[in-house]
Order: sequence, then structure tokens, then C-alpha cells
Amino acid sequence: MVAVLVVKADGGVSSVDVFQRSGRVDLASTDFEEATGWVLKPEGLCKGDICYPVRNVDELSDGVNIDLAVFAKLTNQSLLFDREYEVAALGELAPARAKSMSTLNAPDFRLPDIHGKQVSFSDFNRRKRLLLAWSSW
Amino acid sequence: MQDSGLQIIAVALDADEKAVVEWATKQTLTFPVLIDKFHIVADLYGLVNVPAAIWIDENDKIVRPADGTPGSDLFRSFSHVDSEVHHNLLRSWVLDNSRDLDDAQVRDFQLPPTQDLQDARLHRRIAIALRERGDARDEIGSRKHLARAEELAPFDWTIRRGNMPLAGVDPFGDEFFKFVGEWSQAGRPGYKLGTGRETKPKAI
Repeated sequence: MVAVLVVKADGGVSSVDVFQRSGRVDLASTDFEEATGWVLKPEGLCKGDICYPVRNVDELSDGVNIDLAVFAKLTNQSLLFDREYEVAALGELAPARAKSMSTLNAPDFRLPDIHGKQVSFSDFNRRKRLLLAWSSW
Repeated sequence: MQDSGLQIIAVALDADEKAVVEWATKQTLTFPVLIDKFHIVADLYGLVNVPAAIWIDENDKIVRPADGTPGSDLFRSFSHVDSEVHHNLLRSWVLDNSRDLDDAQVRDFQLPPTQDLQDARLHRRIAIALRERGDARDEIGSRKHLARAEELAPFDWTIRRGNMPLAGVDPFGDEFFKFVGEWSQAGRPGYKLGTGRETKPKAI
């Protein structure tokens, strides 16, 4: 059993159970959309208006599970997988991040506040915002 | 300035939720304080240290990228940043819509990541997840991933300094000053010489 952290379409993070099977990291198809923000459609892997074609669906999914390494490759993300400790993390590759930063569009994200309530950056849209990052360290 | 329509959103890049909640509940805050234990905002907006401020306008456009912006001059001798400069710039933007940087300059002063930095961020996320899963063996795995993140991003403060309390190291102790020495020797990568933007930041 492996916990995966995924930056979802709305910038949220999910830690989901996945399965390790002969060196692969599999995520149940039923958890896929909720965990990743992506949907497998006839036209390919889609998130919002973006779709990446999937030439070999069988390689990506056996109908029950999604192979996360194949998913990461098809959608241009990186997957880091520690077999020994059974944890994986999915993230954005540097060129994709550089490209999204250069658009100057403020990316949305969703994080818990100090009371545990999930708050989205987009909850405050249509006004000027000062995003202040700090820490206790 | 919140009366003039500015919404402040504070994000703590912190795996120690308790410390954040303790601090925030002691203050009378008029804005939300969010907890970003996986450093998602650092990844999305290219942050390499705290404190940092980013300005976003009514149309979701970044009009000033991540910049070291202290609320006071406590660390001025070190950061070379005059807090009043940023306060004044912010006031002009909020009240008069006047920006000190145009779009091209905003792009120029952003810090797009290297692949090593992106990989370091994933190692750090794995380290936090292991730490939370929490048996003794997981703690060993967590330390391993923290160490790998530091090798990959030796000059990123959110990783190097942010890791210190997680690894039981004093963030104001010898190891911190050793890091500052290495970082200064390397030409203060990721930092600008003050909010006046005299120089372009050196890549991490």
C-alpha cells in the first residue's frame, strides 16, 4: 500500500492508497478522477480543456487500475516512487512549471486553514490579493 | 490596506501544523492563514524562501513575483531588504493601481525551477508523508528523502532551512550558519538585492 500525493486540477493535494504490483504503482480507476483531477475519456486523458491522446489504453489501464508511471509519462508529469518505503509522489516537470509561471496566470490552490477548513485561493477572486508566505522555521 | 480592497492570504510553508496554529491563534488576524505542509505554493509560484510576498490583481494575474518581503527590519542586515520599500510599493499599487514592474520584468524576476529542484520538492513531499505515517522505520525513510532533497537543491531555503526542524537541527544553529556561508559563497542564488530590484536573481 502506497500513499500518493497529487497536485490536483484545483491545486489540492490528495494522499490516496495505491497498490504496488510487480514494480508498478497502480491506482484504482474509481479513485483516479478524485485523486488526480484527470479523467480517462475516449479522446484521451483530460483535465479541463486539455486532453492528451492515449495510443495504447491497455498499457495505461486494465479497466480496474491505472498505472501511475504510464499516466505520468502521458501527461508529462514526473513520478517519484520509493519501492522500499512504498510511497510515491507525482509532480510537475520543470519545463511545464516554467511555462505555466511565464503566463503570469496565478495558479489556484486549495489548502486547509488553521481551523482545518479547506480554503481555495479562487475563493478570493476579483480583488487584489497579497499572497504572503511565511513559516515557523 | 485591507480597507482599500486588498485581500491578504497568508500561507505557512510548514510541516509543523501545531506551531502554525499556536502562533496564529495568539494573534488577532483579519485574514486567512493556510497551512501548506507539502510546499505546494512554493512549487506553483516559485518560492525559495520566506517571508515572501506575491501580488495578484483582480484578473488573476501575477503583477509582482515572489520576493523576499519582511514585515519589519529585524533581519535587514542580512536580507538587504528595507521593509518600508515594499510597503510603499504595495500602497501605490492598491490605492493608485501603479506597478513598479511591467510584465516583462515580472517574468524576468521569476525563478523557474530546474528539474533538480522539482525532484527535490517531490523528495520532500515523500519525506513529509513518511513522517506522518509515522513508525520508527518510516522516520528513517523520511530522513533519507530530506537528505536527498537537500543534495538536489542545496541553495533553496524552503528545503535546506525548512528541513532543519524536521531533521532535529536548530534552524538558528551551526548548521544554519554553515549553509548561509555556502549560499553566500555561491552568490546568494535565488535572492535579489533588495525590493528595489537592482539585480536579476541568480538561478537556484
